[in-house]
Amino acid sequence: MKRLGFKLPSAGLFIAVLLAGVFVLLPLGSASEYSFRTPALGPGTYGWDNYAWFVSQPDFGTFITLSLLLAAVAAGITLLVLVPTVVWLNLRGQKLRPLMEFLTLLPLVIPVVALAIGAQTSLPVELQSNQYSLSFFYFVLALPYTYRTLDIGIRAIPLKTLSEAARSLGASQIKVIALVLAPVVRGAVIASVFLTIALSLGEFTLTSLLHWQTFTTWVTVISQSNILGAIALSVFTIVAAFALLLVVGLVSIRTKRRQVTEE
Amino acid sequence: MKKKSTALRLRGVTKSFAGLTALDSLDLDVKPGELVALLGPSGCGKTTALRIVAGLEKADSGKVLVRGEDITELPAHKRHMGMVFQQYSLFPNLTAEENAAFGLRMQGVGGAERKARALELLDLVGLSALAKRYPHEMSGGQQQRVALARALAVEPEVLLLDEPLSALDAKVRTSLREEIRRLQLELGTTTIFVTHDQEEAMAISDRVAVMSRGKIEQIDTPDVLYSNPASSFVASFVGNMNRIPAQFDGKHAHLLGGKAKVSNTDSAAPTSVVALVRPENIRLFKPAHNAKAVADATVLNRSFLGPVSQVTARTADGHVVSALLPTADTGDLHAGDAVAVELLAKQIMIEGSNA
Repeated sequence: MKRLGFKLPSAGLFIAVLLAGVFVLLPLGSASEYSFRTPALGPGTYGWDNYAWFVSQPDFGTFITLSLLLAAVAAGITLLVLVPTVVWLNLRGQKLRPLMEFLTLLPLVIPVVALAIGAQTSLPVELQSNQYSLSFFYFVLALPYTYRTLDIGIRAIPLKTLSEAARSLGASQIKVIALVLAPVVRGAVIASVFLTIALSLGEFTLTSLLHWQTFTTWVTVISQSNILGAIALSVFTIVAAFALLLVVGLVSIRTKRRQVTEE
Repeated sequence: MKKKSTALRLRGVTKSFAGLTALDSLDLDVKPGELVALLGPSGCGKTTALRIVAGLEKADSGKVLVRGEDITELPAHKRHMGMVFQQYSLFPNLTAEENAAFGLRMQGVGGAERKARALELLDLVGLSALAKRYPHEMSGGQQQRVALARALAVEPEVLLLDEPLSALDAKVRTSLREEIRRLQLELGTTTIFVTHDQEEAMAISDRVAVMSRGKIEQIDTPDVLYSNPASSFVASFVGNMNRIPAQFDGKHAHLLGGKAKVSNTDSAAPTSVVALVRPENIRLFKPAHNAKAVADATVLNRSFLGPVSQVTARTADGHVVSALLPTADTGDLHAGDAVAVELLAKQIMIEGSNA
């Protein structure tokens, strides 16, 4: 089928980009326009009042800080658990790759409700009462994306050969990791860390089901008292998330272009 | 001193992977400054042998000795080897100069000395102008040159080359193999060169070890391997060989209307055998009208190879033979021409017939 040849003519590409742009930007533009309205000052007036409103909310700083902290811990788990696992899989555990593919797809297959009930019934009470256990769940929920980002990035690098070359030149295992492996996998690692952060910051369902309050659940509550403020908050969240994804994209492009070359 | 007469010695090295024997009690001695090629088909164990020398694989049994010292249990990073891999293995985050200096950095050599040595090696491989380039800014041939400089910079006990030319195109491959030989002779580095390309092995090696099923079938100079192979496997693997049905009388093989002495005489050999004859030991020619042809054949094809041409012909009894002839003598040979076939070899090898 020619349509699946992935070589759209430039006009087709243009139309596709235009449609995608309209699809994304039109609602965002409309919401933005709405968020700047200041009906209190009269019809047709615009200002930052709605943004000032949610920033001035006493819990805004608390919850955004908490969400950022939870996201940072989730990113830390990705760094400490997932990165070494994927590196090891690529160096020595090729046979376990199908199992890993399967396991990392599970968060997409298992409904979040089931995950929440499982957490509530099987986790020790001490863990359940610790808000930072959310970070672990964020890490799990991000796995389908973070694992693949990491794996594709790392698989493109001949890690085994590089590691063996370094060893044959006198590098100990620690030096191999510090001087060879870490620099070359950095791009893929950064991309997966950003994905974890993006997903953590936006996660609502599981947080809500586990009766925790973070920035996303707070937004839901606060939006019920001020509709324009809630729209302003939504625009702020979308733009902030988009900016974060843009960073991820730029990092990925940089990684691809350099094919594991950086600095 | 006996120790110094052998730079590298393998004794009874055995290695299996999942029950399959990759190396079967392998013995090998390499003299200082010698370039030995390990040649053989895929799966013969040549790369495994090299990796065991490098310390990247652990032998199930046997010993690896460098200048008489047992290094069998020494980890790879303490063996002081230099290795060039088949796959491009430059560190992508380092420039050519930094790559070349990596081994020296691991040895704790100071910055200035390291840089000078790296540049010296890059100069030796003709790439000093590319010292600041990253691997992705270099061609495959250039990358392998830098990898060679990197391996040589540490003045290794043994330079290990694991099919370093196989990813390169034919022209670069030929020039780089000559460069490897030039550098190896210039620096006097003991070298093991793994390849499955017999032309490559024969072109640059002092000795070639032909491997099969985890063992060395024969190790000798390229000339001896070619002219006096120890087995029909070596004869077939090194250079091209015609396999022609023949009759064996216990001493001679009779084929193509002539006969030749059999060098690998085996009294148990059957009467019907397969004779192994090199293309240059067969002559195809247009018989004079009154001359008696030795054997009749019909030309199938002529391939121009420069000063020589390869002519293939089908004999009257249906076997295809290939002859390497001076191009000047093949001008009048065209597809479909009737020719006479003459066996020039006085001595050949045979195999039991599989007909």
